Amino acid sequence: MTTPGVDARSEAAENRFATETIQSGAVTARTPPQLFWGRLRRDKVALCALGFLVVLALIAIFAPLIVHLAGVPGPNEPDKSTLDSFGLPTGPSGEHPFGVDGIGRDVFARTVYGARVSLEVAILATALSVGIGVIAGMFAGFYRGWVDTAISRGIDVLLAFPILLLAIGIASACSFGRGGSSGCLGGSVKPGLALVILVIAFVNWTYMARIVRGQVLSLREKEFVEAARSLGASKTRIIFREILPNLVAPIIVYTTLIVPQNILFEAALSFLGVGVQPPQASWGKMIADAQGSFDTAWWFMVFPGVALLLTVLAFNLIGDGLSDALDPRSDR
Amino acid sequence: MSRHVWRVLALAVAALTALTWSACGGGDAATGIGAGAPAKGKKGGTLNALFANDLEHIDPGEAFYQPDYMMVFAVHRPLYSFEPTNLEVASPDLAAAPPKLSDGGRTVTVKLKPGVRYGPPVNRTATSADVKYAIERAFTAAVPNGYAPTYFGIVEGAPEPGRKKPTDIKGIETPDEETIVFRLSESSGAFIKALSLPITAPVPEDYAKRYDAETPSQYATHQAATGPYMIEAGKDGRITYEIGKRMTLVRNPNWSAATDFRPAYLDRIELTMGNEDTTVAARQILKGKGLINGDFPPDPPVIKEAVQRRKSQITFAPLGNRYISLNTKVKPLDDVNVRKAIVAASDRNALRLTRGGPIVGDLATHFLAPGQPGFEEAGGMKGPNLDFIQNPDGSMALAAEYMKKAGYASGRYTGSETLTMVGDDSGVGARTAEVFQSQLQKLGFEVDFRQVPHDTMFSKFCNVPEARVAVCPNVGWLPDFADGQAWFDPTFSGESIVPENNSNWPQLDFPAINEAIDDAKKITGQARRDKAWGKIDRMVMAQAPAVPWIWDKQANIASSDVQGAIARWNAQWDLSFTSIK
Amino acid sequence: MVTYILRRLLWAAFLVLVVSFLTFVIFYALPSADPAVLRAGARSGNQALLESIRDTLGLDEPWYVQYAKYMERLLFHFDFGFSYRNDASVREQIFDRIPATASLVLGAAVVWIAVGIPVGVVSATRRRSWIDRIAMGAALVAISAPVYWLGLVVLYLFADDIGRFPVFKGSGSYVPLTESPAGWFGSLLLPWLVLAATAAAFYARLLRGNLRDVLSEDYIRTARAKGLRERSVVWRHGVRSAITPVVTLLGLDIGILLGGAILTETVFNIPGVGRLAFSAIRGADLPMIQGTVLIGALFIILANLVVDVLYGFLDPRVRVG
Repeated sequence: MTTPGVDARSEAAENRFATETIQSGAVTARTPPQLFWGRLRRDKVALCALGFLVVLALIAIFAPLIVHLAGVPGPNEPDKSTLDSFGLPTGPSGEHPFGVDGIGRDVFARTVYGARVSLEVAILATALSVGIGVIAGMFAGFYRGWVDTAISRGIDVLLAFPILLLAIGIASACSFGRGGSSGCLGGSVKPGLALVILVIAFVNWTYMARIVRGQVLSLREKEFVEAARSLGASKTRIIFREILPNLVAPIIVYTTLIVPQNILFEAALSFLGVGVQPPQASWGKMIADAQGSFDTAWWFMVFPGVALLLTVLAFNLIGDGLSDALDPRSDR
Repeated sequence: MSRHVWRVLALAVAALTALTWSACGGGDAATGIGAGAPAKGKKGGTLNALFANDLEHIDPGEAFYQPDYMMVFAVHRPLYSFEPTNLEVASPDLAAAPPKLSDGGRTVTVKLKPGVRYGPPVNRTATSADVKYAIERAFTAAVPNGYAPTYFGIVEGAPEPGRKKPTDIKGIETPDEETIVFRLSESSGAFIKALSLPITAPVPEDYAKRYDAETPSQYATHQAATGPYMIEAGKDGRITYEIGKRMTLVRNPNWSAATDFRPAYLDRIELTMGNEDTTVAARQILKGKGLINGDFPPDPPVIKEAVQRRKSQITFAPLGNRYISLNTKVKPLDDVNVRKAIVAASDRNALRLTRGGPIVGDLATHFLAPGQPGFEEAGGMKGPNLDFIQNPDGSMALAAEYMKKAGYASGRYTGSETLTMVGDDSGVGARTAEVFQSQLQKLGFEVDFRQVPHDTMFSKFCNVPEARVAVCPNVGWLPDFADGQAWFDPTFSGESIVPENNSNWPQLDFPAINEAIDDAKKITGQARRDKAWGKIDRMVMAQAPAVPWIWDKQANIASSDVQGAIARWNAQWDLSFTSIK
Repeated sequence: MVTYILRRLLWAAFLVLVVSFLTFVIFYALPSADPAVLRAGARSGNQALLESIRDTLGLDEPWYVQYAKYMERLLFHFDFGFSYRNDASVREQIFDRIPATASLVLGAAVVWIAVGIPVGVVSATRRRSWIDRIAMGAALVAISAPVYWLGLVVLYLFADDIGRFPVFKGSGSYVPLTESPAGWFGSLLLPWLVLAATAAAFYARLLRGNLRDVLSEDYIRTARAKGLRERSVVWRHGVRSAITPVVTLLGLDIGILLGGAILTETVFNIPGVGRLAFSAIRGADLPMIQGTVLIGALFIILANLVVDVLYGFLDPRVRVG
């Protein structure tokens, strides 16, 4: 997915979800959660996707064990005996089920370990961007006035940037250190996965903030909020006890939408060489490594690519499943 | 001076500069189609050279890297230049004959060929005053030249570099339009050798002055050619160099074959930049028509395909070395035993496979490359008698022993320092770096590996001592001239360490070695020099400031309809000798 | 209406200003490298040159003075400065590359509209049919595949130099339209398809969802009850209102991509703005980064402006908000 395009697309999707979830939010408020689970349970495709992700998570958690059981070398152990006399890698075999990459590292082991990066990004970058987005959106929507203006205009400014360029720029500006200290801001931010997660969160929280803001703006006028207010509930209490619970559905739906985007974003950054640092295995980085020889050594482009595709697909399927389950008009 | 004396002198004297490997640049001395005198070619046709990156500098006063030279030597005529098969002796180019030395070698007189004319828009004869101006402008900030002070600093009255405006150098006299006389403060053979560098290509002052008034100079985009080719220019005289895309060389209408040794077969030469995917570009060259590689060597898959199926289209060119520098000023690499352990642990066979295996070069056991004077004295193929460079696959047991000597009882590094390593972000260089990173990790080191573009690696990291980069895995040396001095003075002498643009990457500053280098510079007589430099090679190797791992045989490729000729001195195709079949 | 447009214009101008300021701060403050050294490149050992460069570029002045001067040149002379790497004019280089990016993006846009809209409509009107299931399944796969990987796969399969079924022009074959229209078309065919794949899938899904909602609205039922032909109901009434968000999206997508389709340009080796920006960032070429980011932002802001103004014409209610 072209990451630049992702942003615009999700914006329109956001509008769609915003309208849908306002309705669905109202509906689910009247519907027991069992109905939601009942709908989801009937969605076999989404359940399969969920199963795939559970397996993937287990693979990521037990990566060392799996690599050990498979009897292949670790992800960062080049083995020159797997290369021919021109230094070219050998394809899938009994010893190396997915073949080896350009310097003789086992592609199976690297693909397994690559799942860790993708899931870490899926969890951490998403949690961060959702966290920032929800808080910013709630503040903007609840306090309105100058708080709202500041946050909303800030979002406008951020959205005016070419996001992928901005992310590449920040990530690579942090690799031009001098005087022994690598990294930017006096060496405090170093290139690598942590930076990638921060960058993704930084450029991706805006959509969540907009949705939440819109929801809060409409919720704060609702009777139950008025009631709480007239009963003398504190602002914090109103925000967290009255409004937040009603935001759960849209937040969940939108979160499932940005998880696959974040995964693709990390892979894109790593593909462009500004993501994870070597020798760490990331699917995007593996595809980049394969770029020079994919026509003669298809295996180290295909396996990480398929892994990436399936993972993103699974998240998308679950996202579809969830929004259908939360959407009262869904006829599935 | 007879041609013979010129040759001996030239052989005896070392060139101080050496070409650092330019973006994946490569060595040469042709073994395939480029070998021997280039066959006579057919006149006419268009050649297209594919480049991954832009040329670094196209002003003859600034050009320094291999790809720059590939273009510059087809467009400009310095006093002397090299014929493609000759690595050692330059032929008179703009000059009419070899230089005449007098006054104990302190006066150098060069006669110019009459009737060498600039192409449009200048259209006049090149004079000795133009050569004088070309050198003078190279001392200004507007025309940053890396080697002017090194070679021409001994000309009497030569200024400090970085002048605001070109200043008259009194030691360069032009008694008439066809004579130029250099008065030197001391005799120097290196000076004579430097007359073949593009700094001596004439620049017409009357025309260039207004472009040189800007900083940086804009003469590059309005340059006037004396060579067989010129960069295609628009009506305003501005060259049509589309940065990142292409540059076109067309015949210089004012060039006369009678004055030149270049046959200049081709009618038109396109340099196409931006072929960042070099594998694709290499394949296009093999399968296409009228194509050669410019600034990148083909990747291993292409080498394999060419060697197995298209033997006539690939040439291997041995020259130069590649090594991984270990910064002797950075903890814990300041401990010679730690460095020896790293050298002992390094698997040079695995490193070589990242570039394409045995076919792309011999495993290096020291620095001086095979065929270079002093090679046998330095230990030949087998190398010096040092245990830590003996095993081509690396020896972890020996490495552990050295680590123990360095005080790490476990035989692995247990200290708290992280090694900063800065290497290439793409291509074979990135693979080499990653393989070496894994070898360091086996020894227990934590490695912070920063990947940057090749030129950034040099200009911002490895060439800057202040950056304190511990390991530079993608460096190597391509000497300008076959002599030990060119191999060791810039790279391993403590006196060569400079704050910027440093090429003593390990920052080796070992008194005995510094002294030996100083002594060897003064030695005359090739046999004695070779012995001295061979011994210095051994002394350097004993300090383990680097892991030499390959003596390069750089691959160059061409389409099947191209009759290529390789410039041995530049390790790349010679555009003025290459033709279309 | 005029005041609305004026207000949007002012806001757009303000955005450009803020973006330029932030870009300046980010790329001058973050890297701890000396711009003079970057500019001097391999010759950075020459201290006199460094001083002369600092002098010429005004690098010894405080950053806000530098920014003011940069903006002055930009606003009054439309001058983006000169690249550190090759001293060439940033403006010229960017403008030189816009045709390639524009060819790629606009061509791809034609493809994704031509594919995405019919598929979306058919899927929405024949819900749960096998056509709908296949189309939506394919769309889901398409939005899940990274564009660079898709690009490599199609090159592996179809490129004329390395492909198994060599039918299309491969990577690095781009020729400008002005040089050879046929060559231009041939070389961009694969990149168009690849870049359009994700977008077409997204548009189809979006349109399907919207159309589904619209077709259940009362006025559609009314139209049907009036006895209008189903085709006319779907296209004249349904699609017309369901397509508005798609049009918005199209404007924004094109705006974003015109600033550089980095990944597609990289895989297919197309000399566009995106690759220019990317290599500028990798080489710490600050004036070029500034220029490309600003141009990219300009396209996005312009696209937003156009979409907003169009909405203003289409829907009078917008003007009030």
